[in-house]
Amino acid sequence: MHLTRRQLLAATGAGSAAALLSSCSGFTQQDDTEPGGSGGPGTLTFTTWGTDAELAGFQSAITRFQDAGGGTVTLNAVPYEQMFTNIDAQIQAGNPPDVFRVPYYTFGGYAGAGQLLDLSGHLPADAADRFTPQAWAAVQSGGRPFGVPHHTDTSAILYNTALLQQAGITDVPTTVDDAWTWDELAAVAAQLRTSLPADRYPFAYNWQGNGVTRWLSWLFQADGRFLTDDLAGPAIDSDAGRAAVDFTKSFFANGWVPANNSIKSSTYAADTWYSQTAAMVWSGAFNIPDADSILDFEWGAAPAPVRARGGGDFGGNALVATKGADPELAAAFLDSLTGADSMKEFCEGASLLPTRADLAESGIEFQVRPELTPVFLGQASQVLPQDSAQVASPVMPGIISVLQDQLELAFVGGQSTADTVAGITAGIQAAVSR
Amino acid sequence: MTATTVRRPPVAAGGPPRRRRGWRSGPVREQLAGYAFVGPAALLLGLFVLLPLAWALLISFQRTDGFGQGTWAGLENYGRLLGDAQFWRAAGNTVLFTALVTPLSMAMGLAVAVLLNSVLPARGVFRSVLILPMAISGVATALMGVLVFDENSGILDRLVRAAGLPDVPWQSGGAAAFASVVLVTLWWRVGFNMLIYLAGLQGISPVLYEQARLDGAGAWQQFRYVTVPLVGPSSFFLLVMNVIYSFQVFDVVFVMTGGGPRDATSVLVTYAYETGFVTRDQGYAAAIGVVLLLVVLAFTAVQWRTSRTRDLVE
Repeated sequence: MHLTRRQLLAATGAGSAAALLSSCSGFTQQDDTEPGGSGGPGTLTFTTWGTDAELAGFQSAITRFQDAGGGTVTLNAVPYEQMFTNIDAQIQAGNPPDVFRVPYYTFGGYAGAGQLLDLSGHLPADAADRFTPQAWAAVQSGGRPFGVPHHTDTSAILYNTALLQQAGITDVPTTVDDAWTWDELAAVAAQLRTSLPADRYPFAYNWQGNGVTRWLSWLFQADGRFLTDDLAGPAIDSDAGRAAVDFTKSFFANGWVPANNSIKSSTYAADTWYSQTAAMVWSGAFNIPDADSILDFEWGAAPAPVRARGGGDFGGNALVATKGADPELAAAFLDSLTGADSMKEFCEGASLLPTRADLAESGIEFQVRPELTPVFLGQASQVLPQDSAQVASPVMPGIISVLQDQLELAFVGGQSTADTVAGITAGIQAAVSR
Repeated sequence: MTATTVRRPPVAAGGPPRRRRGWRSGPVREQLAGYAFVGPAALLLGLFVLLPLAWALLISFQRTDGFGQGTWAGLENYGRLLGDAQFWRAAGNTVLFTALVTPLSMAMGLAVAVLLNSVLPARGVFRSVLILPMAISGVATALMGVLVFDENSGILDRLVRAAGLPDVPWQSGGAAAFASVVLVTLWWRVGFNMLIYLAGLQGISPVLYEQARLDGAGAWQQFRYVTVPLVGPSSFFLLVMNVIYSFQVFDVVFVMTGGGPRDATSVLVTYAYETGFVTRDQGYAAAIGVVLLLVVLAFTAVQWRTSRTRDLVE
């Protein structure tokens, strides 16, 4: 076939236009599995990330809700790395999912910005009594609930039995009542430092990235606060604040943790422990299934240390609804997901801790290493409502950056404790004033 | 295929050229066809590049967390940049990164291209091996970098220890961490530079080298006075692209070091990301992005005007 240049140009132009138009039509097509607000009456979209065990737990709870005639729920599972940039973009575009999962330390940012559905009057009247006080406090904003606490997680110590025994440490606590004090932990660390070769370390701490909120456990154990009672100003400039910074700085100065265990490190503490570079690691229970399947050494769990009191990070996630959702349907779904059966099944399968008061003490047993369940349940009981309420502050996203910068400077930059406390104070003041 | 000749209308003495043909005539149809070709690309460029750019510029004048309507802040965000030590640290690191990576990746790319343009056994295999990193995403490249440069269990420090040398603090030492990011970026980018230079080298006639040899030029003189000037257009393209890529570096730094230790590897894009998506100060983050855009535009404009070899051909 003989084509002139003009015929070729015309044909190619027409082809390009057709391709462009067909690609544009893709922008408006809505796949059934895509998030995008209410899919219709009686339908909810639910966006979450999760491990296989977590997603199985969610799917089971959704089936339970649907079988009970609650409505239709479309589960949209996304990678964690994309979760909140996607959610933010969807909110900005006016097209958010009806329900999504959110860490407690991020919850306040969404609630404070007025993007979440106020569940007051939609949840059952006894909702507040259903959850532990610390869990209920973590989903409040301005005294009103903007979500439900779906599960929690807090850090205890996982230890390499052989490395501790080689250092002569055989008496490891198993309950929060006999947890090591800070001084006892320091003695254990010094003993391990002497016993271990130079390229192995007594422990690693899980404060990398947004895990910097886990540093607050030390502050809480010293009975300190980082925000004032009304959450309107900094409160870290205290004896407790200085003690927490001082003690955690000493981990690096004494060689108790590897130099790359800093806040901004790309190596997670759990990996350092898995490779037997560290004898102990602070870890949430969610690591138990992985540790059980991949480690070929004997290991156990112990509660985190105490100082003036016990304390821990209030980790885990809430479930929240966005403003465009059907309030009654969304509240019914959240109510169902935090029902006793759904929560028990989810937490046991995913090695996470319940937020329901009736399950929090001894109502669940992990499917993997069930004997470790009491250690983590006991640790979770050390979190006070006043601790979790601070983490749920609307300015927490700004405070996370301040903690990351200042603690990095303190741990590996040689910044003094006084300057660090002053830096955190100034940063929090700027965040709450913004 | 029939060649099309565009005939210009005769110019009448003392007056403008007369338009004798309607819109269906050749030149107009050619123009329309040209617009039809440019149209889709221009539309996509406008929709996905220019519109977001204009939006980012607008946001940079606002105080906003990204939700709802922000409040007008005028030049406040730009004023904050002047007194922000972290911004200047990130800007300095970005310039240093660019100053190291751009010449090194171009020099290594040219050296390898010259080598692989010669008669070398299995050069196809070597070319493929060098180009392979281009096919891997930046995040995957950086994750491999983490495995290599982990100072506790990484391959590199294990080798260093086995050789009886002191450990290199790839993650906890500022200079070493910066070096690790530069090395991984070079590994990722040399293949691209090599490919462009190889294409440039294959456009140089062997006759020129023969003439140079007849004139008594040695290997270095042939490289210096024949090869380097004649790959000028490739060098110009690579210089602009490498500078833009370097100023926009994000994934390798974000995954390998997170900007640490102590902001030693913090660059403008990681700082803008942290400010926009962690701190949620999106107006300020947009201002950082606009400054980055202006710097890259200014550099490209200067290069465009000063480069003498960008259009050099035999």
